[in-house]
Amino acid sequence: MNYAVFPIVVCSFAALLSPLRADPRYPDWPCTQPKVPELSAAAMWDGPSIENVGNTWQADLKVRDLVELIAARRTPLEAARKAITEFVVGTPAEKERKAKQAFAGLFETLNGQRREVMDGLERVSRKEVNLAAKIKSDVARLRELQDKPDADQTEIKDLASEIEWSTRIFEDRRKTIRYVCEVPTTIEQRIFALARTIQQSLN
Amino acid sequence: MQLHFVLGIGLVTLFVGNAYAYTAYVSNEKSNTVSKIDTSTWKVTKTIRVGQRPRGIGYTKDQKYVLVACGDDDAIQLIDTGSDTVVDSLPSGPDPELFTAGSDGKLLYVANENDNTVTIIDIARRTQIGEVQVGVEPEGMVMSPDGKILINTSETTNMAHFIDPVKREVVASVLVDQRPRFAAFTPDGSELWVSSEVGGTVAVIDPVKYSVKHKIEFTIPGMRADHIQPVGINITEDGKLAFVALGPANHIAVVDAKTYKTLKYLLVGARVWHMAFTPDEKHLLTTNGLSNDVSVIDVASLKVVNTVQVGELPWGIAISDH
Repeated sequence: MNYAVFPIVVCSFAALLSPLRADPRYPDWPCTQPKVPELSAAAMWDGPSIENVGNTWQADLKVRDLVELIAARRTPLEAARKAITEFVVGTPAEKERKAKQAFAGLFETLNGQRREVMDGLERVSRKEVNLAAKIKSDVARLRELQDKPDADQTEIKDLASEIEWSTRIFEDRRKTIRYVCEVPTTIEQRIFALARTIQQSLN
Repeated sequence: MQLHFVLGIGLVTLFVGNAYAYTAYVSNEKSNTVSKIDTSTWKVTKTIRVGQRPRGIGYTKDQKYVLVACGDDDAIQLIDTGSDTVVDSLPSGPDPELFTAGSDGKLLYVANENDNTVTIIDIARRTQIGEVQVGVEPEGMVMSPDGKILINTSETTNMAHFIDPVKREVVASVLVDQRPRFAAFTPDGSELWVSSEVGGTVAVIDPVKYSVKHKIEFTIPGMRADHIQPVGINITEDGKLAFVALGPANHIAVVDAKTYKTLKYLLVGARVWHMAFTPDEKHLLTTNGLSNDVSVIDVASLKVVNTVQVGELPWGIAISDH
């Protein structure tokens, strides 16, 4: 076990965490992608206003089922688009009602999922910061022990093992964070693509 | 070799009759490709493999080559427009992003995003001949219409730098709102427009007095203000209309360039950053990074009339002048 490497590892933690603090408005946001806390419906919909739709889409079973299908990321986009074009049919008034409710439901559902993912990322980021602080403190303690001529070797060994384990957890979480940081963008892309399909169904 | 502009700002030519087949090249930052679009059919006719992280793109003045800044390769590649293959590269300095040319097309000025410099390249000799130190994270690059002043914007320093291209030094800097990404002169050279992505504004600068004479703000009903992030700016040759790409607002603002009032917002694709006119200015094409497509705007009617699927994370666009 090369204990000498720990100070280098701890210094690199600080470097790794520093991009996490790029935007002072969101100190816990760990991603290089800028944080966009909420999506705007206006950024993806210029069809008939959904202002008065509210939660009414949930009262219509067919709309609820459609939203559940098209919002699910396991549903391929082409299948979701097909479901939309098969649903938004009827008289012009009917089509408009269905389109508005479908978009309102899709937007509310996926915006909510996106928010949960982002909250989760910040939670894990805070844990990473705490873990980095713990590792730094343990490494300082290890150094102290190593400098003592009569140090308890068992204590040194246990502490070194603790540091190694904590470091592994830190690294694993860091890789996961990087991957999960892509998810809010993926969700946004899905809402945009399907919103476009819903609007096109009105034409 | 002569050189044309960055991002395909072409000459206005009058054309009466059927749709003319111009060629648009789109850099796809994530897929490391360039998509070639035929503007008479609005179809991708070829996908060209290029270097890593292609962003800035523009024709040489003689239209023989399309230059592509490949940021992760620290090079600007040359695509032969006859064979649509990469045939050579220019030494761009580290992490090239946007570039612009001198008015005679012989020199290329490149923003090196991670190096706080503008690198100057002699294109024919394929060599770097100088550099200018600028602010942190340079990106926007444009030459004044008279070729006497080069502009670079630095994202982190929040400045537009005025550079004498002969002396190769910064002669003035103007503070703008947060994270300036792009700069464009009005065709008569009397104004410099600079977009501030995080600040959410476009500064209209007097390039003689080095002062901000107006700031354009944007408001879209129902849109969070922090989603409105201006990047690309394209101004018609008659100086009447300016089009501003608003990033994750997914809209283009159509601005009266004389009164600075926004006339209309057009919903295009997701995360719209850069644009180019066809030479006849009948169409404006936009690159939409998150929806992986290009929107086609009919300029006369101010309507989005088509969408062309391209590669991943489309970034820049250049259109032939014939």
